[in-house]
Amino acid sequence: MSRRRERLGLGLLGLVSPVLVLCIWEFASRLGWTNPVLLPSPSQITAALFALMTSGAIAGPLAHTAGLFVAGYVLAVLIGVGIGIAMATSETLYGLLEPLVEIVRPIPKPALVPVLFLFLGIGKATMLTLVVLAAVFPVLISTFQGVRGLDPVLLETARTFQVSRARTIVSIILPASLPMILAGMRVSLGLALVIVILAEMLAGEDGIGFRILDLERSFQVRDMFAWIVVLVAMGGALTKLFDIAERGLVPWRGRS
Amino acid sequence: MSQRLGFDRVTKVFEGSGNDADFVAFDDITLEAAPSEFLAVVGPSGCGKSTLLRMAAGLTDPTRGKVVLDGKPVREPPPGVIYLFQQYAKSLFAWRTVIDNVMFPVEGAPRARRGELRAQCRDYLRQVGLDGFEDKYPWQLSGGMQQRVAIARALAADPQVLLLDEPFSAVDALTRMELQTLMLQLWERRKFTAILVTHDVEEAIFLADRVAVLGARPTSLKEVIDVGLPRPRDQLTTREDPRFLKLRHHITASLLARNDGHVASA
Repeated sequence: MSRRRERLGLGLLGLVSPVLVLCIWEFASRLGWTNPVLLPSPSQITAALFALMTSGAIAGPLAHTAGLFVAGYVLAVLIGVGIGIAMATSETLYGLLEPLVEIVRPIPKPALVPVLFLFLGIGKATMLTLVVLAAVFPVLISTFQGVRGLDPVLLETARTFQVSRARTIVSIILPASLPMILAGMRVSLGLALVIVILAEMLAGEDGIGFRILDLERSFQVRDMFAWIVVLVAMGGALTKLFDIAERGLVPWRGRS
Repeated sequence: MSQRLGFDRVTKVFEGSGNDADFVAFDDITLEAAPSEFLAVVGPSGCGKSTLLRMAAGLTDPTRGKVVLDGKPVREPPPGVIYLFQQYAKSLFAWRTVIDNVMFPVEGAPRARRGELRAQCRDYLRQVGLDGFEDKYPWQLSGGMQQRVAIARALAADPQVLLLDEPFSAVDALTRMELQTLMLQLWERRKFTAILVTHDVEEAIFLADRVAVLGARPTSLKEVIDVGLPRPRDQLTTREDPRFLKLRHHITASLLARNDGHVASA
């Protein structure tokens, strides 16, 4: 009871600084200290956001962005977990793949945009590739480290029970390294969202990133800010969803 | 049927890395557990007792000599030889419920037998005193209960040889006695061959038919002692038996590398 009240109190405390910033912003705007063409007030942005939602215009770009995000993120997780486990469990695959991973991993992925334009054209293939490239490495590295860091007792338990290699991977290695895999997935989540928006700005024909840049170029600044708010909400919602999923998937975390 | 497991002139050398010299863990050990025998191996901490069991389980190979299971040399973990780890918490699967942990060894069985096997595993849990804990997770249980889950899982694997690697050393004294009694009950019921390594002299005498005493590094076999205490054994009366006390004295003295007479006259 008191714990809950304490947490509620802390939550309210955390609201103070954003509310304060919004108030200052609103007053500055109303007192004419800022240029309303470049920086509309929070209330004006809220009105634009409201219009966006009620008109249903939000659905198209949101679905577009969410689609690219989900496709890229899911692909990155599958590839990252797959290669991570392969490299951690086979010395041959480790020797084969480690140099390649270490060459590609440190490249700032936006630097590859021109290359991808050349080979894949300006469009969906480039955007998806970029998202996957950005999101795959944190998952890959933490999966690899998670599997390599498993307690030998766990693997020896499997060996003494005559468990096949495939079943060891699926029913022991994968669930046992899940906490580490999820830690990598959390990092990738943020990265993927950043790159989705960037990709849409550079090569998109629709989506929130495309919209934001398009509105900026046509001086519809209020709508532009409204879309940025949508983006903030989307990021927050994804993180929250991830927290819930993680708690459901690894309830033993930190307890065994 | 339980099986005969023996060490035939086993030597284990750990190669030193870099400038470190090679380390001889065992030198020329010959020891055999007869079918359905309860054999205990005691030795000072750090003498590599666990390595002996790991070789028996096929988890690591001897450098010279061989481990023999019913006449066949052991290289890979053989079926029916089950290892009970000291670190039960690491050996259990945290993401599985208690019953699913116990089911693990039999999951390869045909689907049609699933129901029957599940009932059997529930019975194993009942035998180790975990009735009603089927759907809990290991991390929701106490240490002693977790080791009980590991024991039930070992039973599910139908052990011919059970290797016990200080399995009761990480729990409190009272729980340890309960688990020892439980282990004896299960052993008398199932008649598997049991090899226990421990540094606890009383535990070795209380449980085993014979106690093998290991010497200092490089570890060699000092002596093998017939316990000869009546069964079933009891935590109170067995431990008060004059023969128990005599054996305890003898083995402890041997481990302390003093001779009996010297200790007696002290």
